[in-house]
Amino acid sequence: MSVITADLRNYPLYIRSVPTQNELKFHYTVHTSLDVVEEKVSAVGKALPDQRELYLGLLYPTEDYKVYGYVTNSKVKFVIVVDSSNTSLRDNEIRSMFRKLHSSFTDVMCNPFYNPGDTIQSKSFDSIVSAMMVQSS
Amino acid sequence: MAQCAQSVQEFVQDSFVPTVAVLCSADAERVTRRNNLSFPELLRPFCRLTSEGHLRDPNNLVVVVKGLRISVTGVNTQPLQPGEVRKLLSQAVSGCQPPEGLPANVVTAGDYDLNISDRSVKASVPWYSDWKDTFTQLSSSKFYTATTPWFEAYRENFLQSMPASDHEFLNHYLACMLVVSSREAAPTEQFQRLSQEQHRVQHSGEYTHPKWFIPNTLKYYVLLHDISDGDEQRADSVYEDMKQRYGTQCCYLLKINSRAAAAGPAEQMPDPWSQYLQKSRAQSPVSPAVLSEVDGHDVFCACVAVNSIDTSRKQGGLPASSTPVAHGACLTLNDHDRIRQFIQEFTFRGLLPHIEKNIRQLNDQLVSRKGLSRSLFSATKKWFGGGKVPEKSIAELKNTAGLLYPPEAPELQIRKMADLCFLVQHYELAYSCYHTAKKDFLSDQAMLYAAGALEMAAMSAFLQSGAPRPYPAHYMETAIQTYRDVCKNMVLAERCALFSAEVLKSQVKYSEAAALLIKMTSEDSDLRSALLLEQAAHCFINMRSPMVRKFAFHMILSGHRFSKAGQKRHALRCYCQAMQVYKGKGWTLAEDHINFTIGRQSFTLRQPENAIAAFRHILINDSKQVATQQSAFLREYLYVYKSVSQSSSDVTLPQLPLPCLHSAQTRVFFGHERRLAEGEKQAATHVWLDQEYDGEQAQLWAELEEQVVGVANKGSVPIGFQPTQYCLSCHTDNLRYPLAVVEEPIIVEVVFRNPLKVPLALAELSLLWKFTPKDFSRPPGGVPGEALSNEKEVTALNDIISTEVIPEFTIGPEETKVARLQLLPHKTGELQVLSVLYSLGTVEEDNGTTSRPTFVRGRQDLEIQGPRLNTTKEEKTSVRHGPDHRLDPVITPPMPLLEVFFINFPTGLLCGEIRKAWVEFVNVSAVPLTGLRVASTHPEFFTFGCAASDLTPVTPTASEHCSAYKTMATPPSVAATMLVSPAMFGVSGDDRPTVAEIPLVGGGLGPGEALQIPLWLRGPDREGVHEINFLFYYESVEKNAKLSHRVLRHKAFICASRSLSVRATACHSNTLPRRGGAEEEGGSSMLVFVDVENINTSEAGVREFHIVQVSSSSRQWRLHTCINPTGDRDSRLASRERGKLCFRATRCRTQEGETHARKYTFADLNLGNEQIVSSTTPCADFFFRRGSPSEAQKGGVSVGGANHTRRQSLTPAGGADDGVTGVVQKCSEVELNIIVLWKAYVVEDNKQLILEGQLHVALQTVGKEACSVPQKEEAQEMVLLKFKPDQPPPVSRPTLEQLSRLIKTCLHYPESYDHPFPQKSLCMVPVTLTLSNCSLAQVDVIIDLRHKTTSPESLEVHGTFTWLGQTQYKLQLRPHEVQRLVLKACFFQAGVYNLGTPRVFAKMAQAGTMCETSQQSSMPALIVINSV
Repeated sequence: MSVITADLRNYPLYIRSVPTQNELKFHYTVHTSLDVVEEKVSAVGKALPDQRELYLGLLYPTEDYKVYGYVTNSKVKFVIVVDSSNTSLRDNEIRSMFRKLHSSFTDVMCNPFYNPGDTIQSKSFDSIVSAMMVQSS
Repeated sequence: MAQCAQSVQEFVQDSFVPTVAVLCSADAERVTRRNNLSFPELLRPFCRLTSEGHLRDPNNLVVVVKGLRISVTGVNTQPLQPGEVRKLLSQAVSGCQPPEGLPANVVTAGDYDLNISDRSVKASVPWYSDWKDTFTQLSSSKFYTATTPWFEAYRENFLQSMPASDHEFLNHYLACMLVVSSREAAPTEQFQRLSQEQHRVQHSGEYTHPKWFIPNTLKYYVLLHDISDGDEQRADSVYEDMKQRYGTQCCYLLKINSRAAAAGPAEQMPDPWSQYLQKSRAQSPVSPAVLSEVDGHDVFCACVAVNSIDTSRKQGGLPASSTPVAHGACLTLNDHDRIRQFIQEFTFRGLLPHIEKNIRQLNDQLVSRKGLSRSLFSATKKWFGGGKVPEKSIAELKNTAGLLYPPEAPELQIRKMADLCFLVQHYELAYSCYHTAKKDFLSDQAMLYAAGALEMAAMSAFLQSGAPRPYPAHYMETAIQTYRDVCKNMVLAERCALFSAEVLKSQVKYSEAAALLIKMTSEDSDLRSALLLEQAAHCFINMRSPMVRKFAFHMILSGHRFSKAGQKRHALRCYCQAMQVYKGKGWTLAEDHINFTIGRQSFTLRQPENAIAAFRHILINDSKQVATQQSAFLREYLYVYKSVSQSSSDVTLPQLPLPCLHSAQTRVFFGHERRLAEGEKQAATHVWLDQEYDGEQAQLWAELEEQVVGVANKGSVPIGFQPTQYCLSCHTDNLRYPLAVVEEPIIVEVVFRNPLKVPLALAELSLLWKFTPKDFSRPPGGVPGEALSNEKEVTALNDIISTEVIPEFTIGPEETKVARLQLLPHKTGELQVLSVLYSLGTVEEDNGTTSRPTFVRGRQDLEIQGPRLNTTKEEKTSVRHGPDHRLDPVITPPMPLLEVFFINFPTGLLCGEIRKAWVEFVNVSAVPLTGLRVASTHPEFFTFGCAASDLTPVTPTASEHCSAYKTMATPPSVAATMLVSPAMFGVSGDDRPTVAEIPLVGGGLGPGEALQIPLWLRGPDREGVHEINFLFYYESVEKNAKLSHRVLRHKAFICASRSLSVRATACHSNTLPRRGGAEEEGGSSMLVFVDVENINTSEAGVREFHIVQVSSSSRQWRLHTCINPTGDRDSRLASRERGKLCFRATRCRTQEGETHARKYTFADLNLGNEQIVSSTTPCADFFFRRGSPSEAQKGGVSVGGANHTRRQSLTPAGGADDGVTGVVQKCSEVELNIIVLWKAYVVEDNKQLILEGQLHVALQTVGKEACSVPQKEEAQEMVLLKFKPDQPPPVSRPTLEQLSRLIKTCLHYPESYDHPFPQKSLCMVPVTLTLSNCSLAQVDVIIDLRHKTTSPESLEVHGTFTWLGQTQYKLQLRPHEVQRLVLKACFFQAGVYNLGTPRVFAKMAQAGTMCETSQQSSMPALIVINSV
């Protein structure tokens, strides 16, 4: 499972994945999924930008993984990749995970010492992500 | 984007064309061979028809055939083996590379600018910017964004190499050309033979290949006539004969070779064959093994071996392929026309009618069977389908995909008809036939046939003009799925996918096309997967909202497959294109992976520069990879680098990426490494690289140097003076070329950082320099020597500049480390340090291996950017940097080099303690030095003594237990005085001497000489740690043009602890000095009270203090006698004890005061038996070096004096009032400095030590207390910042109090007076009133005796009396004049009276009446009148 946050310009802000040995693959997968995110956002976003659902749902399934996406109003993207075989995670769980991520990310942003655009090194963010990973696996 | 030069329609049409077989006689072959062409090849360029053809369909509607192309091949052309096909395709792909050097095509997608190699016409216009435009352009298919010619080549070859299949007839032979030469002895028989041959091939059943469309194949008889050497008449006659025999429709006389071959290429003929043949030639080098295999299977070899150029070339023509062969050398343009004419004739007269006829026949057959409903027919087949069963079982044996029909099966007839219609572009009919056939096949479960029908139905639906029905994409999908999954026929599936993708793309359904293409990738063919993935990637980027990241990802996948397929160039290209998306976006792992692959591919493709650049990129960036990965990257890089550097013979070493070199932090140090303390000797700290740069300190040193240079140059600092900088860093001013001295080392400190998680090993680290020798002693303008460099061999030029080489240098993971590299110049000139040379290698973890880790040699340039300029507007608006010359030193001729050692230099002192130390000066250079001076921030701290005093022991050891002072044994008595001029102690003026000249024997120090001289130190007055800077200045005896002087720095830290606190006050003594002696003294005296307190806080150590002597030093006053304590009694002070001393001070002799205004009188009052001669070294030295009173005692003790001086300076034209004030104040001013000399008994390590010291107190105003310990300067700290200039203080009149001190009065009278009142009622007592003028001005005095005391208590206490005689006196007193006035008091009765009633008014003689004030009311002067 992997959690990746990318900012408005699609620079990665935070990448975390377990197990770590396949990290490169996750990178590629998530980077590619940003295209889908943009597509979805541009498709939905025009109609009602304010009431847009932040959760984008399943972006696309690959053979081994399911990729879920979430975009904040400031176009910060969260992507969660989970194992296809993991059936315990339903749409609702994923949605709540994203909510948690989002609120934690907001906390990071509120930190006056955080420089927007830097990679996130916040310990609390880290621990929340770890907790989610433990819970989901 | 795979867009070929044709539209999709054209592409599909051209992919399915009528094929015609050629059977050629040997003679005819010979005729065409003259043009280096076989007969099919000869025709090939002319196979496209330029004019429209017509035919009628079964319903008698005219079908127009536009742009028909026919395909002509030798009948015996073998289908290629799968392996061969693969080889062919891979060659086609690898042979087709993107053009280099063409303008790049930049596709801007979102925030990405993609540079896709391309020869597009539309390179400059981002096509998607206007979607409508794009749409129209795409549908018209005139402009293409990115071409992938390798894909087109692949596709063309793939389609050509498609084997003829049984389920479709599109590439089955429709007709056969029989070609016979006119030179043949019996052409007719030859035709006969060929005809039989064809019949045999088609019908004998011996051959599975070639396949024929219809049983009665059209035979077309061609008589080939060679014009240049044939008999034309004979040919004509044979042709006539043929026409009679076969009918005019089926015969043709083709005349070629109008020209003799010898004519050569004199005439530039167009060569239409080259574009058709060149490709196949390029493909020809097939491995011999495959060739022989092919030959073995070549069943036609025996009869018509020569017919095919293909076979002949395979058999022996290999060498021919290497030389470019001119085709059609014997053909003129007329011949070309003839061939074109021939093809047209063949098509329109022969082929099309033949097709038309066959369509009709098939249609008739179908119609005749129409009696039975198709569905009923199939239904009955299903029910009573016994006839089919055996065939089905056979089919199942052969083909799991379903049943196999016999060639003449009725189900195939409709398919045949559909194919025919399709070939002649009658797509409407073709579609309906395919559709019908599809239903049939599906109901028969003949999946292969059904898939074929579906595919072609979709194609014909697409090709129908006017598009009555939408393109049935699902047909294609089903077809592909069936081909792939059911029939396991990837080739057909692939063909189907290629067409479908092309169609979808033309309909702007890019995502569907991409999905289709991606689905087609599989494990069995890397090349196909790679190409399809690449196409899919192109689809993504061409979408309405370009999916750049998907593009990149699929490019990477494609690159991976390309590399697996051995297409390294294509792989590299793909990765490079993907790189553009990932570059610099923070996806570092992906970026590293791509870079790594690019590096590897480039290396295998012999592009080592690119490989190194790619690897370099991985290593330079802050890698997030794990350590093992990093070390792998590093090893790979080193390996590549090594192989490159071995191959290239380039002189200049390449740049290395690791470790990171922080050029800006480079520091340069000039001079030797600092020698540390040797035993008791403590070397001057000077400057060294270990010291951190401190801006304030640097400023301090620069100021000191400026001072000392100013003194050395007799008061003026030369223009262009720059402080000496020994250590250059990013903080120093590096605009000038620094100066280094020959034979003195230059140390360059470079900062390396290892960004990796693995350690790095550097070896043979050294500096690379360039040196231009120059002789500075000669006049300028001489020709500079040639520049030298140690680039080739590091130590080769060690006789000019010795270069230090560090053999090994290891940097740990993520470590920042400095390396100090030394150069020692032996010649004068200009040096430039260019870069760092080193070998980079890995650190082997396991020590078991004996193999030396790989080291590669390279360099990194030290490029230092100067500070950013910010003075002019231009510089502010743009980013400009100044020069930085810290690495370009100028080597100057030899200069003296001084080393300074301190001996017995203490680290801790009591405040005011005097300690004697020694200092040693050594000239370590080969040049004599002179003009040694020292400047210091604390000149009061040390002295070298005055020149006159040399009574101290000569060596440091001898002086250990002696007092630092010069002493004389004298009993305590009246003070001994001595007059001393401050000039003797090097003090001139009031300012403190910050620069002291050091007395050298003979004025200089020769090479290698050393000198030890004593040095007295006095503990600072304030407690705490003091940082004391010494700057030693010296010059060379000879003038050096470049370097006028040198300096040596020393910084000492002294910890001062509290000793004594001395407070002193001066009071006017009211008593007049005794008559006689006292009057000679000048008439006035003062009392000086000195409070001494032991404020030492250290518990151990100091036991007690003894005040041994109190001395005074002043220009006007001196201590005269000691009042308390009397006698020779040390006043000792234990901890926290306080003692009070009282002295009388008198004014010095005036005449001496006048003439020697600048001389100081020292008066010593010793309390013990020893007198310390305070007027000599070191006591007087320190006295003169003490801080000036106003500076040292700002604390408010002497505010009056300070104020006074300030006011004078502010209002110079203050007028009379000011003068008055001055005079008035003068009289209350004293300028008396008290020096308290003490001894402290200290126990240290069970040894008793006696420490000596002196404290200074400057008394300035009568009545004000002065203190030796500076007060806390709170008042000073709290001053508010003022933004307005200070208002000049108002010209104040002198205060009453001050004025009242002008005149001192004293009444002299008998204390008691006996008077016989009974006898005489009036008692008259003489009273003397002494008036003494304290000021230096004339004073008018009015004495008024009439005044009565008004205070009530005086009335009560005292009786009344009267003054007799004159009641008011007016006197004028000269400065310091004493006048006596004899008064008479008259008493009437006995009693106690107060005589102090006279009021004295004084005013300045020259001032107005304003300042008249009553003088100090005198003390009650009581007189007792006794009645006797």
